Amino acid sequence: MRGLQIEPIPPHEMPPRCEALRAEVRAFLAEALADVPQQRRARSWSGASEQFSRKMAARGWIGMTWPKRYGGGERSPLERYVVLEEMLAAGAPVGAHWTADRQSGPLLMRFSPEVLAPRIVPAITRGEAFFCIGMSEPDSGSDLASIRTRAVDTAQGWVINGRKVWTSGAHRAHYMIALVRTGEKSENRHAGLSQFLVDMKTPGITVRPIVNQLGEHDFNEVTLDDVRVPHENLIGQEGEGWKQVGAELAFERSGPERYLSTTQLLLEMLDAADPGSERHAVALGRVVAQYGTLRQMSLGVAGMLARGESPALAAALVKDQGALVEQAMPDLANDLFGGRPPPGSMLEWAMRYTALAVPSFSLRGGTREILRGIIARGLDLR
Amino acid sequence: MDADTLIADSAERLFSEQVDKVVRERAEAGTLDERLWALACEGGFHRLLASEAVGGFGQRWAEAWPVLRGIGYWQVPLPLAETMVAGLLLSWAGIEVPDGPLTMIEQGLFDTLRAEAGGGTLRLSGTVHRVPWARHAAAAVVSLADGGIALVGLQGEPGVTIEPAFNHAKIPSDSVVLADAPAVAHHAAPLPLVKPAWALGALARSAMMVGALEFVLEQSACYATERVQFGKPIGRNQALQQNLAVLAGDVAAARVASLVAAADAPDAARPIAPEAPFSIAVAKVRCGEAATRGTGIAHQVHGAIGFTYEHALHFATRRLWAWREEFGSDAWWAERLGQAAIAGRSAGFWPSLTARRFPASASD
Repeated sequence: MRGLQIEPIPPHEMPPRCEALRAEVRAFLAEALADVPQQRRARSWSGASEQFSRKMAARGWIGMTWPKRYGGGERSPLERYVVLEEMLAAGAPVGAHWTADRQSGPLLMRFSPEVLAPRIVPAITRGEAFFCIGMSEPDSGSDLASIRTRAVDTAQGWVINGRKVWTSGAHRAHYMIALVRTGEKSENRHAGLSQFLVDMKTPGITVRPIVNQLGEHDFNEVTLDDVRVPHENLIGQEGEGWKQVGAELAFERSGPERYLSTTQLLLEMLDAADPGSERHAVALGRVVAQYGTLRQMSLGVAGMLARGESPALAAALVKDQGALVEQAMPDLANDLFGGRPPPGSMLEWAMRYTALAVPSFSLRGGTREILRGIIARGLDLR
Repeated sequence: MDADTLIADSAERLFSEQVDKVVRERAEAGTLDERLWALACEGGFHRLLASEAVGGFGQRWAEAWPVLRGIGYWQVPLPLAETMVAGLLLSWAGIEVPDGPLTMIEQGLFDTLRAEAGGGTLRLSGTVHRVPWARHAAAAVVSLADGGIALVGLQGEPGVTIEPAFNHAKIPSDSVVLADAPAVAHHAAPLPLVKPAWALGALARSAMMVGALEFVLEQSACYATERVQFGKPIGRNQALQQNLAVLAGDVAAARVASLVAAADAPDAARPIAPEAPFSIAVAKVRCGEAATRGTGIAHQVHGAIGFTYEHALHFATRRLWAWREEFGSDAWWAERLGQAAIAGRSAGFWPSLTARRFPASASD
């Protein structure tokens, strides 16, 4: 069961330059967030501000670890982690560039280092290229291998037809990385899938908003109708899409965004709590312990990624544990404060907002059931 | 091979070869397995954390952690954790470690202990419950409320009565009744950690819980692949897979929390450790929660066979129920974390979490 173990980064081995950077980020946030309303902060990384993304880019905080030749900063993964966690804890609106920084940039550099990456990645680091991920389809959610969007090879390039859904940020993204079918299924149902870089301005793309239960527009339905992409926009090998997606998901599932999304509600609770109440202390103390633990787990996986390991299992563990903690937050707030905050108070607002937001946390990036299936496979149960 | 795997490997060899069901069962009568204790002492495990100056090996918690984890994984019925921690407390006090098993007491939490100095000797009176292994311990290291350390002989000393009791796992957890009992050694200066016997006891219990949880996870996953019902292994059922995945998540979380606390904990060479109180509290809470959820899942997976005395599962699950409450339950530690977090308010929360220190009170 070695795969189920997460090796924490020994706390005293965090390089001192990380703490210097942390101070720098906090000073930046104190200024940059001064005029960002608290409601917006509660949206966490679902909140997007192109202007904020460009401010971060100006500091060199997008693509921090990437090679200089792609516009990156060649800094360590731990330094990047410090920036991410500080942004999330403060509720900074990092959503616009989040996907590109987390997975699209690394994917392009790994699988198209000479063609696509030199062209696109520098724009990501400037905060000028935002990405969305075209994976789910109307009939393909957890069962990703059943997707039907198809690309056909022609002399002038690939022609893509199909429909993607739940595509977060498609309405502001410059590019989509689309997982599509290029070949038939064999006994291996994961065969015949490929990834493409799709410019969202290409004729034939229609983006239709899907308003979520919060009344917000985050995800979309994207229709691809005879969308022509050049041959060079095939990412990696034709038919290797499933494997490439797998590598992406370890990045997607283990970051600090997997436990920090409801932090603003926790902060409101800490301000409203009764210092004389044992009940408040025990309940909130448990959350502190869970945060403390998740942070070290997530850091541990960051360390494994930095060493070039691909900790898919450990990442699934972090995401599942993180979602449990995040989703318990509005219920805890209801236990401690339900029906009591002053009308119109930020606590009341955060309680209502978060209660509506958290059901998606065990759906996005792999459902709870899928993640636990991955963990069960690690236990040799399937 | 580096030093920490050397210690871990020799502990694993000793525990896996020498500790079996017969040994565990025999210990439940309240006797100490003298042969097993002697073997553990040969390996030096009882004095790993004590400094060389007072007769120990001056190792760090990182080296002791695998041994403590092993006590849980193999359910080793020995007062090793207690003797180890007592030795570290004596190192800071500069008191020679006495021979034999040791235990430790934290004054001022759940006891009626009073200490009176007079005639050059410190004398202790009062009752302390739930002192692990007291009946077999040569002496108890008492962490005094004023921060000092006293060493009190427990075997045949005047004014010392031991009333036997057990914890969930039928491991001795005795009441110690002192009536003007003299300290054989006393160090008046405060130690570097507040309530050190309690906190380091909690750290040791967290590592032991991780071991027991890892055992329970392995046993459960293994049983789920072997037990056949409805024509297939029960582990093929998604309901069981999902529950075992939750158990695996809890075990992973507990392990990380405890390892971080061990890395943050003070040792003989590095007594100042400002992160220790926070990290230890986090570990004891998270391991206790994992024990609570994990024992329930493990028993559910095992069905009726896991409820028998014959089956080995209970040696681990009963220890988890014992250890989650010893040296402060998860609720007890959570209350401390929560009080500090509330005092620090929203502004104190994140800086405290990243520094692994209790926040300064917002009103300070």
